[in-house]
Amino acid sequence: MIQEASFVTAAALFLIGLWAVLEKDNLLKKVMGATFIGDAVNLTLVGLGYRLDGIVPILSEGMMVTEYAAKAGYPLPMALVLTNIVIGVATTALILALCVKIYEKTGSLSVGEIWK
Amino acid sequence: MIEYILLATIPLIAAASLYPKDLLKAVIIGTGIEGVALAVIYQMLLASDVALTQAVIASTILPGLFAIVVYKCLRWER
Repeated sequence: MIQEASFVTAAALFLIGLWAVLEKDNLLKKVMGATFIGDAVNLTLVGLGYRLDGIVPILSEGMMVTEYAAKAGYPLPMALVLTNIVIGVATTALILALCVKIYEKTGSLSVGEIWK
Repeated sequence: MIEYILLATIPLIAAASLYPKDLLKAVIIGTGIEGVALAVIYQMLLASDVALTQAVIASTILPGLFAIVVYKCLRWER
């Protein structure tokens, strides 16, 4: 149930992010919308790796591998999401640096004023 | 139960963060609070490593980066 709920939340987050990127005039809010879209993708992937009544995918001492394999959540999406989070921060930093440059050049963060 | 409340509030927090004219407030709500709520959800979805990373990034690094941009540019949206 939490898996389906997380997909619904991810869909809502994606739509809000898309709306912000398309409709908001301020560049910072557009970047925030892009981070929302990234968060939605991350939430979807983590939701895919969830297993009902499962355990965190860490093999503890004394635990049988068969028991671990039967219970643990799927770890591959988690590894992908971890990479995506780190790369997302780096790209966001790059976009923000470009925003500062645009502001220094035009004196505004409003897309309507920049495009004049 | 708390996971469903959090899952319902995350899009609301995201939407609410796009309305303030004060960009610093928008940034703290949109990247900070929303990201930390997501970290809690990741923990409940059995992804502890992702939750740890998300908590660190959403609570300090991303709001810090956005706050630097707000400081260097404009605080109030025109």
